[in-house]
Amino acid sequence: MRRALDRLYLGSGVAAALAMAAICVLMLAQAFGREAGILIRGADDIVAWLCAACAFLALGHTFRNGDLVRVGVFLDRLPARPRWFAELFALGISTVFVAYMLWAVTGFVYDSWQFKEVAQGLIRVPIWIPQLSLVIGIAIFFVAVLDELIAVLRHQTPAYQAAEEARRAAGDFSETV
Amino acid sequence: MSTLAAASVLLVLLLILLTGGVWIAIALAAVAWFGLHFFTNTPPDVNLFQSFWGSSASWTLAALPLFVWMGEILYRTRLSEEMFEGLSPWLGWLPGRLMHVNILGCAVFGTVSGSSAATCATIAKVALPELKRRGYDEKTCLGSLAAAGTLGILLPPSIIMVVYAVAAEVSIIKVFLAGFIPGFVLTALFSGYIIVWALMNPEKTPKEDARYSLREKLYRSRLLVPCILLIVFIVWVMVIGWATATEAAAYGVLGALIIAAWSGGLNFKSFKDSLMGATRLSCMILFILAGASFLSSCMAFTGIPRVLAEWVASINPNPYGLIAILALIYIVLGTALDGVSMIVLTTSVVIPMVEKAGFDLIWFSIFIVLLVEIAELTPPLGFNIFVLQTMTGRDSNYVAWASLPFFFMMVLCVVLITLFPQLCTWLPDALVGATRR
Repeated sequence: MRRALDRLYLGSGVAAALAMAAICVLMLAQAFGREAGILIRGADDIVAWLCAACAFLALGHTFRNGDLVRVGVFLDRLPARPRWFAELFALGISTVFVAYMLWAVTGFVYDSWQFKEVAQGLIRVPIWIPQLSLVIGIAIFFVAVLDELIAVLRHQTPAYQAAEEARRAAGDFSETV
Repeated sequence: MSTLAAASVLLVLLLILLTGGVWIAIALAAVAWFGLHFFTNTPPDVNLFQSFWGSSASWTLAALPLFVWMGEILYRTRLSEEMFEGLSPWLGWLPGRLMHVNILGCAVFGTVSGSSAATCATIAKVALPELKRRGYDEKTCLGSLAAAGTLGILLPPSIIMVVYAVAAEVSIIKVFLAGFIPGFVLTALFSGYIIVWALMNPEKTPKEDARYSLREKLYRSRLLVPCILLIVFIVWVMVIGWATATEAAAYGVLGALIIAAWSGGLNFKSFKDSLMGATRLSCMILFILAGASFLSSCMAFTGIPRVLAEWVASINPNPYGLIAILALIYIVLGTALDGVSMIVLTTSVVIPMVEKAGFDLIWFSIFIVLLVEIAELTPPLGFNIFVLQTMTGRDSNYVAWASLPFFFMMVLCVVLITLFPQLCTWLPDALVGATRR
């Protein structure tokens, strides 16, 4: 179970990374293609969809890695017991709201599948196909948040906290703006 | 309920969620849901989808992950190590000598990196041991590193600037161009302070006797030159309209890969690390933007920004007074929030206000970026202070005190751009044109 979940997070992170690399390749192809007189139809639409995929598919992986930001000043100063309650509060609210996000997003994409809505740009594909990245990404994110909530309930250190502490101990600051 | 009362309820809710440690993007979205559900008749779930999809499925925004990736690639090359070697032969003659490497090293690395903590950590890792070994004053050294590290977000291409441009709906290239002159001014102010300090404390600067021929100097800077050329190239293709911001960012990634391969820092592991690191960082920023976009739509439906802007206009404040109050608010926000959150959280409310008071939105981008920089230097969440604290083992108060003179230089820079807004607006207007936004 643990290994399957970890693979799920990493796999979706890799998928997001590939989406980002694809944006780069497409933009370069478009720029060089224009010089050579070749027009890539609809490249802009695909880039936009890939950007959404990059943002949402990576959510679970990013969350577990402690890279989603939050205000840590107050939490870090709490002693162990109140800190545990604070983590439960944050994770509890997040679980509920991410579940709501999942419901809202799924409902909307389900509708656009039902009504056979088609993308408005140059590429006339059913719009639910690119929009699926939101549903999948938020679904995995929900699993990741729930996973951490259960871990904290069992008095384990959540993965995001462990990852962040390890990074700071190693003096790695590449993942902050 | 009146609009202002609704606004205060939402503000209190947001504060509770944020201080409670709820992840910022989720907190923003939850507040937006609350506002839409209780204060308007619009269904929140449709708005949620449209904001999430509309803000992230954007061709303009695709520039952001690419700029992040470019920085991540160069971060993993030997560029940082060679920064010291490449810059020091050129700066030995200035009063303060190699202390200026801190400033210029951060300025150059900041252009490619776009992140201030990474800039600070990278340069400090190389410069601190070298300067200590030669007997330079530790305090001034730490202060200059903490402050100059923030140049990373003022000198383009900068991730914070892309976030602002997207959130405020202004042209990315104009915001980039607006950052150049204030960036040079701030660099000069930092270096100027070091010169004055060194002239007043001559005994604290050790002698430097290494002499280099011009050829040797150039050879030592061989990695710096391609990086600077890459940045100039990226900005240039955007200015002449040969490439859009997203295409220019893709060129940046390509150029960074070529530089990395040429300097021998590119292998499968560093490529993979840069790609995954950039994905996580982009995901974090894009998700905050999505949450903030949902909150903006809630704001639009409740009409809070309009009411606030009209209220500000009705008391007809002195524009400088308004700017001073905003500066104060941002400094307070900066003690607890990171730069990206600070910008996306406030744009939907502050931009209409600032526009109504007659300020230029391009100018405002530099104002807000400078305040984010200042926030990096103010405890308890001054991130650069934290970085140096972990790297040196010094107390955070010590680092904060050390950077105090440089903090005043940054405040001076904010005053300068407020009194002479042309410092920000002249370059973009001259190169891109005043009418194009």
